[in-house]
Amino acid sequence: MEFVIYSLLILAVSGALSMKNKYIGLAGALIASLLTAVNNPLLLMILVIAIINLASLDLMKGFLRGVDYTLVGLIFVATVYAFYSQSLAFLLGMFVVASVPTYMMVMASDTGMRVEVGIKYMTFMVIATVLFLIGAVLMVHASATSSLALYYIGFTMLIVGLAIEVGAGPFHEWVPDVFETADPIPISVIASIAKFVPFVVAFKIVSSTHMGDEVITLIGSILAVVSMLVGNIGALTSQKPARILAYSTVANMGYIIAALIVAVKEEFIYLAFAGAMLQLLTNSIGKIGFFIGIKEKAMPTVETYVLALSFIGLPPLMGFWSKLYILSSLVYANFIWVAVLLVLNSAMSVPYYVRLMKTFEGTKGYRKVAAYLITLTAVLMLLTVVPPNWIIESSKLLMSYLAIGGV
Amino acid sequence: MSLALYAFLIPLVAIIAAPFVRGKGASYLSSIVFILSFIFILSDFITKSSFTLPLFNALEPIGKIYLLGDTISHAFGFTIAFVSAMVALYSYPYMKHRFEEMDLNPDVEFRKYWFLYNLYAASMLWLVYAGNLILLYIFLEISLIASFLLIYYYGYGNRVWVAILYFVWTNIAGVLALVGILLIGFENKTLALDSIAGVSMLAWTLIFIGMMVKLPGLGPHVWLPWAHAEAPTPVSALLSPLTVGLAAYILLRIYLIDPSFILTYRWEIFIYGVITSVVAGFGVFKQTDHKRLLAYSTISQMGYILIAFSLGTAGIVGVIIQYISHAFGKSILFMSAGAIIATYHGLRDLDKMSGLHEQVPTIANAALIGFMNLSGILTIGMIGEFFILKGLVDTYGLSLDTMLLVVFVFIISGLYSFYTMKRIYYGRVRDYEKAKVNRLLDTPLYLIGAISFLFILPPLATWFVDAILTFLGGGI
Repeated sequence: MEFVIYSLLILAVSGALSMKNKYIGLAGALIASLLTAVNNPLLLMILVIAIINLASLDLMKGFLRGVDYTLVGLIFVATVYAFYSQSLAFLLGMFVVASVPTYMMVMASDTGMRVEVGIKYMTFMVIATVLFLIGAVLMVHASATSSLALYYIGFTMLIVGLAIEVGAGPFHEWVPDVFETADPIPISVIASIAKFVPFVVAFKIVSSTHMGDEVITLIGSILAVVSMLVGNIGALTSQKPARILAYSTVANMGYIIAALIVAVKEEFIYLAFAGAMLQLLTNSIGKIGFFIGIKEKAMPTVETYVLALSFIGLPPLMGFWSKLYILSSLVYANFIWVAVLLVLNSAMSVPYYVRLMKTFEGTKGYRKVAAYLITLTAVLMLLTVVPPNWIIESSKLLMSYLAIGGV
Repeated sequence: MSLALYAFLIPLVAIIAAPFVRGKGASYLSSIVFILSFIFILSDFITKSSFTLPLFNALEPIGKIYLLGDTISHAFGFTIAFVSAMVALYSYPYMKHRFEEMDLNPDVEFRKYWFLYNLYAASMLWLVYAGNLILLYIFLEISLIASFLLIYYYGYGNRVWVAILYFVWTNIAGVLALVGILLIGFENKTLALDSIAGVSMLAWTLIFIGMMVKLPGLGPHVWLPWAHAEAPTPVSALLSPLTVGLAAYILLRIYLIDPSFILTYRWEIFIYGVITSVVAGFGVFKQTDHKRLLAYSTISQMGYILIAFSLGTAGIVGVIIQYISHAFGKSILFMSAGAIIATYHGLRDLDKMSGLHEQVPTIANAALIGFMNLSGILTIGMIGEFFILKGLVDTYGLSLDTMLLVVFVFIISGLYSFYTMKRIYYGRVRDYEKAKVNRLLDTPLYLIGAISFLFILPPLATWFVDAILTFLGGGI
């Protein structure tokens, strides 16, 4: 844990110097990330995602001139510490640290600043952060004083804050607009690495404080199901790739919130956590690939197929295993109806991913770097041809850091 | 080391190598590979040898992933291998015609086609050798995606819409079954077929409903006529005979572990099967599109399988033989429909056909063999019907009403078979010119026909029925 100070220092210094030469920012971000990297397969995967994000920033004429590297590095460091920290204050701090850099990133584009997008995004994010923080504190307080009513209020605030933060329905107002109007590359960061921390923190808070399980699982599962439906219906009725992907994010967040409700069952939480994290990995990798494609307005055909099929949840690609683990955790925890709805939703999602395939099929004219990165994302999706025991094992290791011990 | 294990592996050769072979060679290569598979499996079948091959130990709830080849796998496996081999031969002239029709470059398209075709056929073959329910599900999905892409690229009519319709319905079927499979995993802490102790009613129900969509039963069958009619014919000739019947294989595997659900709802399943078969059978008479007609006949035949499921051990033998006979018969018929389409450039409308026996006698006679298979005359279908009747007597005793129902179902099959024969091949001769049918468009049909005849004669018939009965523990 003591490394966090060093990493943050390195990031700050390199970020400041990157105004002179942007690659100082890249070096600083890499060093800070590698300093924090730990011997855990899941975190290594997240590190790979961070590195792809860093590499993809090269595809835009960043007006942030190297600070964007620092920001991605910052999000990654926050993510690692969110996994390992057991103090509430630190966790909530990390939640903010992972969220704030995206405010700046979303405004970046090739031609200057996009303030109107930034304002819209920031408004929602600030509301989300406030709700989440108050909700989390209320939940911890309520579980210490065992006052059920207060706990319900806290949980509702937390889950609504979480939904706004990650863009789950029915609080997904900002997602399609921002995804469509902002530059694709920052969006690929927002849609990938920035999504981990909110869920990890939420998992920790829910699993260490839960009471009144029936009510909170009902709230959570209704939100999850609404999010899936809203996302899939929205994607089915969208034409532009960026909008389709925005709604697909909404649907994916619904799947992960479904896994979150299993956090009230001690014995299956490892499975739900593994499923949620793998689904986040799938979502991140796929979104990075597709948004680079949108940036280039073209993608290699085979890779497009692999990414889209993985989103559909076709075995043995990563998207299948993530849904499988989420489904098994739901089935184990006896939320059969959520499982069945999740299944129907994943079937509903087929047509629009096929539309995505068609959009990018046989397109030409992408840059070399983009092609490499997209190919890399496709290869990552193929990692799970061998059943991913590693995710279950890392999840079991991380279980010992779930309990929040005081402030 | 069992021969069937090689049968499991050699399709990989076809998947990898066939796309790089030009022209007819790819067709022959794929065909030879699946013929070899067929021979290996058949020899294993006759010697009653079985194998298990552990692959990988996954964590709970998945458990041991292994390959399993027993008599049931072999029975389904050699059918899949043989039909795939024959359809591979048939694919070349047909798809060439199709690519020209679509203004595509055959050399480029054939690469895609052979890769997908062999993947599709091989994934079905692999499915019946999967020893773990998750592995089985994975192969099911691979076969689904390969067939989906084939329809998507080369189908007829509104092919994109049909492909998506097919994908969504069968995907719902697959994932409903998956939830059931996960429930099994939750109850047993493993999904390896040899260590599952029991299947709860809820899991059974989910798997059964999922498979009713895929099989299909009456009601969720809406996707099937579209998919089978608009798919390119070689794909129809695998989809209808082999793929939909694999739902029966999955149900059979669960049944062998724990027959509780089927035994509890025996009468309902029986009646549902009868209704499916009769309604779809009447549906056949109304069709005016050649391939749609065959699709309805598929639904009707799948009703047989449902009926047979409810009839105890003899019924299970009936399921297996019914699958085989339907696969042989229906692949012949779809290929005959395709041969007419390829020879007369898209002729599918039954109102424009009659007396085609004059112009294309070889295809007409092959179709006759196919319809004989469906109606159970002098072919392996006969043994299937015998076992269904035997199961009926074993289960319900000599009750007249059930007998009448089943006999009625059999009669309807016979009726629509020969009525269709009359509509297409006999009657008033139209003024189509006498065409020269490409040899590859009719020879495979006769080869399948020959096999289906051979199976009612010793030694094949005795070996075959004996092996299945031994596996199911005799008692017949």
